[in-house]
Amino acid sequence: MYLALREIRHAKLRFALVVTIMLLVSFLVLFITGLARGLAYDTTSALETMKADHFVLEKGADNRFGRSLLTGNELDAAQEVVGSDKALPLAVRMSTVSIEGAAVKKDVTLFTVDADSWLLPDVMEGSTITSTSEGHVLADKKLKSAGAEVGTVLKDPASGMSWTISGFVDQSAYSHTPVVFLNQKDGAKLRAAFRSQASTQTDSYNVIAVQATKEQVHELAQRLPETDIIPRQDAIDAIPGYSEEQGSFTLMIAFLYVIAAFVLAVFFYVITLQKLSQFGILKAIGARTGTLAAGLIVQVLLLSVGSAGISLLLVRFMMQALPDTMPFRLGTATMLLTAGAFVLVAVLGSLLSIGKVARTDALEAIGGTAG
Amino acid sequence: MKPKLSLHQITHSYEDGSGRVSILRELSLDVQPGEFIAVMGPSGSGKSTFLSIAAALLTPTSGEVRVDGRSLADKSSKELADLRLRQFGFIFQSAHLVPYLKVEEQLLYVGKLAGMRRSEASARAKLLLGQLGLAERRLAYPEKLSGGEKQRAAIARAFMNKPDVLFADEPTASLDAARGQEVVQLIADQVKREGSSAIMVTHDERVLHHCDRVLELENGKLRVS
Repeated sequence: MYLALREIRHAKLRFALVVTIMLLVSFLVLFITGLARGLAYDTTSALETMKADHFVLEKGADNRFGRSLLTGNELDAAQEVVGSDKALPLAVRMSTVSIEGAAVKKDVTLFTVDADSWLLPDVMEGSTITSTSEGHVLADKKLKSAGAEVGTVLKDPASGMSWTISGFVDQSAYSHTPVVFLNQKDGAKLRAAFRSQASTQTDSYNVIAVQATKEQVHELAQRLPETDIIPRQDAIDAIPGYSEEQGSFTLMIAFLYVIAAFVLAVFFYVITLQKLSQFGILKAIGARTGTLAAGLIVQVLLLSVGSAGISLLLVRFMMQALPDTMPFRLGTATMLLTAGAFVLVAVLGSLLSIGKVARTDALEAIGGTAG
Repeated sequence: MKPKLSLHQITHSYEDGSGRVSILRELSLDVQPGEFIAVMGPSGSGKSTFLSIAAALLTPTSGEVRVDGRSLADKSSKELADLRLRQFGFIFQSAHLVPYLKVEEQLLYVGKLAGMRRSEASARAKLLLGQLGLAERRLAYPEKLSGGEKQRAAIARAFMNKPDVLFADEPTASLDAARGQEVVQLIADQVKREGSSAIMVTHDERVLHHCDRVLELENGKLRVS
């Protein structure tokens, strides 16, 4: 400790440069982690906040909602197993709507749900829709940034239908698009508009959202052999683009950790090599290897904790400054975990130098002119 | 009088490509308390090996080193490090100060390693630096010191933990004649003042008159020169 602090005091510039590099790396780790989380949430929040724990999909749909098509027969069977209020149909359709008065088009995902059920999220602004209302929808608040307000009319040119926004909901995004919730009545009209070119079934939908126990899931699988019953996380992983995005980010973050470890390992290794004769002298005088190694660890901890701390502050500031349209999510727990992992990786990187210190022989002090 | 440090029948040899080479052959030496001994010898005569073994840095092939009558043979490396810290003092060829510690801190660090109380350590450091004429330079870094000042700081550091035995490895090698005289004089004065014993390895004949006993290392044995 005594030596560690005084060495940093004496070689301020050298240590400041390393702190700067570490700071940049740890900032990048935090930033990319936040971006990855933000993008993930921007893709999955509609399913994350949905109160279903399993989904029933057509076999061969590859866990993708859009590729699955089910009929009333499956729904009846599922409701017999888990109860009619715990198995609900969900129709999903990607579309592009124009926002009245804003002269822009927005990609949205249309969710047709039973408006009186738990599939419809709580309204944060405006009023909710019921299963008897007509031409009214709930929209994710992301649409507000495109100019939509309560009462704004959304036009779907593909089906020729238009709906009035009755209220906004929070955290309902699917595959980077805001979700628009329709009740069954409007959903049926929407299907009718596409009937000639799509399914001939009148009451078709994509998936069944269920709340089921383990045993019920097992029973469902037996009753519905032509379907896949998947947990919610599998459905999230299969959202178009989600796994690919997260895979790239995970790779980047992993590399940043490796880089951080190497930067510190190399820095301390070179410094340690320079000081080997000095360590020999200190050992000859009577310093123990443990004392010298502890000093090294203290330095690594100071540098990594210091730089991680500063970058946490920077990220905090940046979160205030980022525009709402930029998906960025970084909870306190994630921040601390990331910073902790960073410090751990830095300490691991210094083990190389500690080995070198341990192997230095006190004998080098005698008869030598070095240092 | 009981010797402070005693080397008994020390033999040290190592494997060379062409066979066994013996550097020290049944060497014996008793160092009395307060005695300042100089060990001379041409290069390659084994002076460094002799000093390393006497200072518990190297274990001899055979023979025994005793400090205060206790053998070092069965001590662990940690115990030896503690022994060097508390009972031995070292002065090296070049001063070997820690480059990022101020002169005073060089001494305080050694005191801290030995577990000396802070107030006691700073009083002792102040005393030693005063005796060695470094009171003005106590807040300077080694890079700002002259060669003589560095070696004086090293002497002060060697005496910090009140060593029983002081080992000096060619302390004048990197100094000019006048500075060399001054440094050995200071070591001799300090040895008398502290009542320590001292062994100095040197090939500088001009400083021998400061020593109580002058020995020559020849063919692996010590003889009075």
